[in-house]
This record gives sequence, C-alpha cells and structure tokens, in this order.
Amino acid sequence: MRRWGGLACALAVCGGAVAGCGAGQRGDAAAAAAEAFVSALREGDGAAACAALATETAQGLAASEGAPCEEAIGALGLPDAAPSAVDVWSDRAQVRTRDDVLFLAEFEDGWKVVAAGCRPQGERPYECEVGA
Amino acid sequence: MKRALRDNGLSIGFGLLFLAALIGQAFAGQAAYNDRQLADAGAQVTLVQYVTSSDFAVDVAENWQSEYLQFFLYVFATVWLVQRGSPESKRVEETGTEPDREQKVGRFATADSPAWARAGGWRTAVFSRSLGAVMGVLFGLSWLAQSIAGRSANNAERLAQLQDPLTWLGYVGSADFWNRTLQNWQSEFLAIGSIAVISVYLRQRGSPESKPVGESHDTTETSG
Repeated sequence: MRRWGGLACALAVCGGAVAGCGAGQRGDAAAAAAEAFVSALREGDGAAACAALATETAQGLAASEGAPCEEAIGALGLPDAAPSAVDVWSDRAQVRTRDDVLFLAEFEDGWKVVAAGCRPQGERPYECEVGA
Repeated sequence: MKRALRDNGLSIGFGLLFLAALIGQAFAGQAAYNDRQLADAGAQVTLVQYVTSSDFAVDVAENWQSEYLQFFLYVFATVWLVQRGSPESKRVEETGTEPDREQKVGRFATADSPAWARAGGWRTAVFSRSLGAVMGVLFGLSWLAQSIAGRSANNAERLAQLQDPLTWLGYVGSADFWNRTLQNWQSEFLAIGSIAVISVYLRQRGSPESKPVGESHDTTETSG
C-alpha cells in the first residue's frame, strides 16, 4: 500500500502541476496571438487579422459573409482594444479586452483566435460575431 | 528469487495488472481525446502530451479516490457493521473495537507484535487506527487531485464551447465534479454490499475471500 501512497501523492502533485504550471508562459503566448489579431484590426490589415484566426474560423467567416476573409473581417467592425486579461486551460484560452472577449486554441503553428466579438449569454455559451 | 515472487504474488500480480490497465487507458484515452479534438477543431495530441494532460489525470484520479474511499469505509465500517454468515464480516457478537486481549495490544502484546502495539499510549492509539487513517488520507489526496485536474480539463472544455471557466470552488460544486465522483462511488458501494451478501451463500474453493466450500451458510468470519 505504500507504493500506492507514493503514486497517489505523485498524482496529487501532477494534478496541481497540470492545472497550474506553465500557464504563465502559455498565457503570454495566447495574449500575444490575441494582440496580433486586434492590432491587425486596428491597422485595417485584413490579411494579418485572418492569419491570426484559426483556419476553420477564417473559412467559416468567408462562407457566412460570402466574401474572402480578408475583406469580410474589416466590415464587421470588431472591437480592437488591447488584451487586458488572459486565462489559459490546456490548449484553450480566453482573452479579455476592454470591450471584447476572444477565445483561442493552440495549434501546431501556435495560438489562433477561434472566436471574437463575443457577448455573454448568462449560463449559455457566448454569442460571437466570428467563430460562433 | 522464486520464493520472493511466490511470497509476494498478490502485490506483484496486481501491480502488473495495474500498469497494463493504466497503459491501456492511456492509449484508449488518447484516441478518445483526439476524437473530441476533431469535433472541437482542436489540435491532435501525442501520447506523451496526453498522459501529462489534466484529462488523463482526472480520469485516473476519479477512479483512485473511489477505490481508496471503498477501502477506507470498509476498514472503518466493518468495525461496527457485520453481516451474519459472511466471511467478509467478523462475528456478530464482536462488533466494536474489541478488548486489548483480542487485539494483542499493551500488556497483551506478544513477542513478535509490532513495537507500537506494545508501546501503549498515543503510539498504540495511532497504530491501532493507521490502516484506516492512511486509506482516508489517500482518498483525500486522490479526491483533491481529481478536483484540481478535473477543473483544468473541464475549463478547457468550457472554453472550447465558448463558456467562461470556473473557479475551483465553482468546479467542486459543479455537475461535472459530482457526476464523476458519484458514478464511481455507487459502483464501489454496490461491489462491497454484493460481496458481503453473496459470499454468505456462494463459495470459491481455496480463496480467503470465501468460506470453505462445506462451511455452513450461518458461519461468519471463516475463510478457506
């Protein structure tokens, strides 16, 4: 039973490590990806904004707007304030700006925005202009 | 070597079964996780990434805590609760912590009794409860690990579904935490109740979990 005890302790420590450790660096990376997205919006650079989106999100936007992502994204008038808070859990992140909430996911080529222009709906999922 | 293997067959056998099952769980869990990632437009993970993830940790911890709870409760409950005719129970008239003479503590300790059984005072008091206490601590640690890893895994799922993450207290009060917890607890309690009752009437020749095959249904606390 001592062997099991050691494993249980290790698991408790690992549980904490998985939940907490590494969140700082990964949070910075997620915030940087969100910053790349909103700064592209601020500068009116549709191509750069779409490059910061996850592939499926960009494709979904183009399909729903009936226009290339680069053109469609600027027409939405999405909020473009800088990130002020980031919350990372596993390969998902939520980034808050002064007037928006963005959701990101980590892919092989780094963090990408999967949803932006999001408004809370109580207990229900956020309603997002992009990536809903 | 051969003798050591034979003398420790139960711990070695179950240790190997544990490792084999844990490795199998890792492969199956990775496949299931990657299936969900496809649906959520997330990235695929390697086996190493999966076994260091909170998803794997919570799936392991939720089962560990319930097993340790099972033994913790079983060790304590069988001091007071009996089942007439069950080899899992002591005799009906022996409920409680029993006299020192039967427990071989203090002045009733024998030459080969553990030192803390002979010592008396707080050491004997602690040693007298050490099995249940350690099971209880292991249960607590495993349940804590489940809550921490579960919150992490659940928050990742919530973000994938465009929902706000939960605080630890919020998660401990959530349906996900209690669904994971209670679905494991009910199966452990069912298993204990089942073996206590079924072993009254059925036998497994040679097993210490069973009475001898020819023993009466009314006989309690006999193994063979």
